[in-house]
Amino acid sequence: MSIGWMPHLILRTASLLAPADRRAEWVREWRSELWYIPPDGAARFCLGAFPDALWVRRNHASPVKGAAIHLASPLSCLAFLAIVAALSLAITLLLPAPGLPDIPQRLRARDLPAGCCAMLIFSSTMLPVLWLVMGRAPSHFHQVPWPNRVRSGIFLVLKIALVHPIVLASFLLAISLNHVVPIAALGIFSTSVFALRWVLIDQRERCPVCLRLLTDPVRIGTASQTLLEWYGGESACSRGHGLLHRAEIPSSYSAYPQWHRQDASWQGLFLEGVGRQ
Amino acid sequence: MAEGLRLSHTSAMILQAVGTGHVYGYTVIAVTGLASGTVYPALRRLEGDELLRSEWERQSTADAALRPPRKYYRLTPSGEAALEISRKRYPLLSKLAPLTEVEDV
Repeated sequence: MSIGWMPHLILRTASLLAPADRRAEWVREWRSELWYIPPDGAARFCLGAFPDALWVRRNHASPVKGAAIHLASPLSCLAFLAIVAALSLAITLLLPAPGLPDIPQRLRARDLPAGCCAMLIFSSTMLPVLWLVMGRAPSHFHQVPWPNRVRSGIFLVLKIALVHPIVLASFLLAISLNHVVPIAALGIFSTSVFALRWVLIDQRERCPVCLRLLTDPVRIGTASQTLLEWYGGESACSRGHGLLHRAEIPSSYSAYPQWHRQDASWQGLFLEGVGRQ
Repeated sequence: MAEGLRLSHTSAMILQAVGTGHVYGYTVIAVTGLASGTVYPALRRLEGDELLRSEWERQSTADAALRPPRKYYRLTPSGEAALEISRKRYPLLSKLAPLTEVEDV
């Protein structure tokens, strides 16, 4: 039986490890080399594609890396959360429910909304503490138009709604593990805090106009200039809508992160910058 | 840059192979006996360090020979300097047989 397809299958599988934007070039290079390899050594030769693809991935310079690629735009962020939430709900249906007399051994699909609502109520008790710990959200130096604020609010609500199936799954997992690991119940609190904290941090790291994640963080100024000018970090919207300034040491004039909106004349410059990257 | 660079024996072998005319990935593998999973990442790293530069063969050349175009590598001036230093460090490098296969690329 001929196994001539094997090297191509190996290459195709290994190519999944290569970064998407370099995959075509990577496959082209390996296929062109494969053409010269004797058939009996082709499969062994192609096994080297795995370390090579991993090397390319590790050393691939990308403006936004890893998970951030999926979360950069608001729609992709919601889609990613929706997929994770759906998986979490599927796991929830497989996990044993808390051993209370009026609750069946496992949750049914119709119990899931109530379970998520219970988690929402549980986590909302922690919201005030989180707000206090995390400080104020960035102040908008130049007022953001109300349609953008509404969009931002809807986005925040959807994110909160989508993380709660994940919290519910962790809740049931923590309860089922509690027999084995007595401190597993602490996971209920930590997951809720982690999920809500991520939602709030993610919201603050987004452009209030287009809701994309801010990019290109740079340091501005030096500590010795504190009395003359602020110093800290600056992130930019990749569409050129504005800049977020965060002071390293809050002072009277820079106590909170500040959003500086840029007018439309900047946007071409930023889009060009993104294109170059 | 080359003065301060200390190449591993593997990298030096690959540079020597390219320097002696084994300009394609597979020919480097054939002459050095290294595995493909070692050679290709090393070629990329050496290219990133600007000791090598790569180019795709002209499509017309490949078409004329009824084969797909290949990517070939050449030493940069920094690569030549690094190879010169490595030859002093690893004298056996000069045992790699030279090859002249780059005229048609």
